[in-house]
Amino acid sequence: MLSMQQIAKVYRTDTVETHALRELTLTVDEGDFVAVTGPSGSGKTTFLNIAGLLETFSSGTYMLDGRDVSNLNDSARSKLRNEKIGFIFQSFNLIPDLNIFDNVDVPLRYRGFKSAERKARIEKYLDVVGLSGRMKHLPSQLSGGQQQRVAIARALAGEPRFLLADEPTGNLDSAMARSVMGLLKEINEEGTTIVMVTHDPTLANEAKTNIHLKDGVVSETASISQLGNGKQNAA
Amino acid sequence: MEFGPILRAMTRNKTGAILIALQIAFTMTIMINAIHIIEERNDAMARPSGLDEANLFYLTSTGFADDFNEQQQIEEDLRQIRALSGVVNAVQINAIPLSGGGWSMGLSTEPGADADGTGVAVYFVDEHGIDTFGVEQVAGENFDITDVGWRERTDTEWPDKTILTVAMATEMFPDDPMSAVGKTVYINDTEPMTVIGLIKTLQAPWNGWSGVERSMLVPQKMLFGSARYLIRTEPGARDTLMPQVEEMLAASNRGRIIRSMRSLEETRERSYRGDRSMTLMLKIVVGILTAVTALGIVGLASFAVNRRTRQIGTRRALGASKGDIMRYFLVENFMITTMGVVLGAIMTVIFNIMLVDSLSLPPLNVWYIPAAVLVMWAVGFLAVSGPARRASNVPPAVATRTA
Ligand SMILES: Nc1ncnc2c1ncn2[C@@H]1O[C@H](COP(=O)(O)OP(=O)(O)OP(=O)(O)O)[C@@H](O)[C@H]1O
Ligand SMILES: [Mg+2]
Repeated sequence: MLSMQQIAKVYRTDTVETHALRELTLTVDEGDFVAVTGPSGSGKTTFLNIAGLLETFSSGTYMLDGRDVSNLNDSARSKLRNEKIGFIFQSFNLIPDLNIFDNVDVPLRYRGFKSAERKARIEKYLDVVGLSGRMKHLPSQLSGGQQQRVAIARALAGEPRFLLADEPTGNLDSAMARSVMGLLKEINEEGTTIVMVTHDPTLANEAKTNIHLKDGVVSETASISQLGNGKQNAA
Repeated sequence: MEFGPILRAMTRNKTGAILIALQIAFTMTIMINAIHIIEERNDAMARPSGLDEANLFYLTSTGFADDFNEQQQIEEDLRQIRALSGVVNAVQINAIPLSGGGWSMGLSTEPGADADGTGVAVYFVDEHGIDTFGVEQVAGENFDITDVGWRERTDTEWPDKTILTVAMATEMFPDDPMSAVGKTVYINDTEPMTVIGLIKTLQAPWNGWSGVERSMLVPQKMLFGSARYLIRTEPGARDTLMPQVEEMLAASNRGRIIRSMRSLEETRERSYRGDRSMTLMLKIVVGILTAVTALGIVGLASFAVNRRTRQIGTRRALGASKGDIMRYFLVENFMITTMGVVLGAIMTVIFNIMLVDSLSLPPLNVWYIPAAVLVMWAVGFLAVSGPARRASNVPPAVATRTA
């Protein structure tokens, strides 16, 4: 479903070259729930950005849904992001000037859906995240956990194959983090493939697969389900 | 296009947008009314004086010697000037069109002090006047040499013939101006003059006067102490003839001085100097205002782009193409500009009504308003296109890389 072969990413500035990813090779299967862990600076966000077509890479091949996406132009990448990928960000990234309804509407408008279709989807997914009563609220009028739920509704509304999340619970207290994690698991049960970067080992353990990055390469992979006990940490 | 969300987002940050819209409205109001004034001045400057301006010049001869015989000298001067090669014709005259100084009288169709006189500029000329001006005679006839007499400074009597401009005839005989020929008009309340001819156009000396086309010719030469000669040359001969005539006259009688020599082109230039500097100033004001407005739009849009960098990255991550981001800022600016021009159109009309009332300017041509709307839209579009392009180049990775 998502397959990276020897992906390297080098950031060049005038003085330094940073090898954020070195020959990273990994595969994510359809329906999986992957938790990516690793120390700060190990390349987790870089990996996620490349997976989500937010950034290009220096070398290697990337197959997304059976298609080589290494050499797509900017607008083709935008279209793929819009149709196949949902993003969830650590700091929610809701648009502060738009109410909840309009926020969830953003990717749907870029998709070119008609207004009735958009409205139906917005209502459906705000209901999924339990916020259908808050459509006219501004983001600043919601708690962090609620804001992240709105962001999840926004990511889901386009009904993407992948959900990519960079520390989605990083700005939430543990209770809110739990409920967001619960929501993600439900979504995964429904069939959406999820890749989530996290610092929290407990949350990582609840995923189906754990990938540990170190210095831009995969240092360990463990399929928690294969170990038979979801509570055990593979690392 | 996402008009709804753009408008809703804008109402949450309205101060900047409102200020720019007001600035656009203000600029548009000033722009249209200034252009209207400029056009009106340009039209005024473009009015023909009726004269063959390119080939005319004039000078003044003032005798000071005890034995200076003014009448004899005038006859002699005119004969000499007319005989010069390159001179088409010459005439003694009291005033020069466009010069700002001259005589005016009132003419009426009925005798008597209570009859309403029509103001008119008076030019004293002999039978060479019409040919020297280069004006077109449209009815009746010219003065005959026998019509022309002499006028002393203290004379109050008027000769019994006159020639009017068509504009003057129209003012006095609105029903049938051409019928003026042969009619009697009254000057100084009761003195009758017969209109023997009509000339097409001859401006009065005062270009700001509303009756500037109303002039009359009176067949007299003047003994006023100073004699002014208006001289018409062959095309291209004026500049060589000017010093030549000056020298010839000075040499022919040492008992007088020749002064105030000037071409009619220079007189026109001086006459409208104030108007020209005013229109130039208005153009500069309009230019500066437009530039300041454009800079305001650039500033507001740049600020909006910087403030919304993360939002732009997020939109890109959610599937917006570069074009979508570009379009967002263009549409947002278009909406602000449109608010501005709608307000500007209303202000323009109100301001113009005030100008018409206070400065008695002609009312505005309504087409100026849609034209200015197009101009302001274009200015807005150009001003916002830089910041919009910058916005479209915000990388999508900003969504995950900015805290
Ligand atoms: N735009 C950039 N220019 C230069 N270097 C960069 C850029 N983005 C990331 N890096 C570098 O690439 C490396 C990997 O960064 P990345 O953000 O992927 O780490 P991370 O695993 O997400 O870390 P964290 O857990 O702190 O978020 C780091 O050394 C980082 O400094
Ligand atoms: Mg990171």
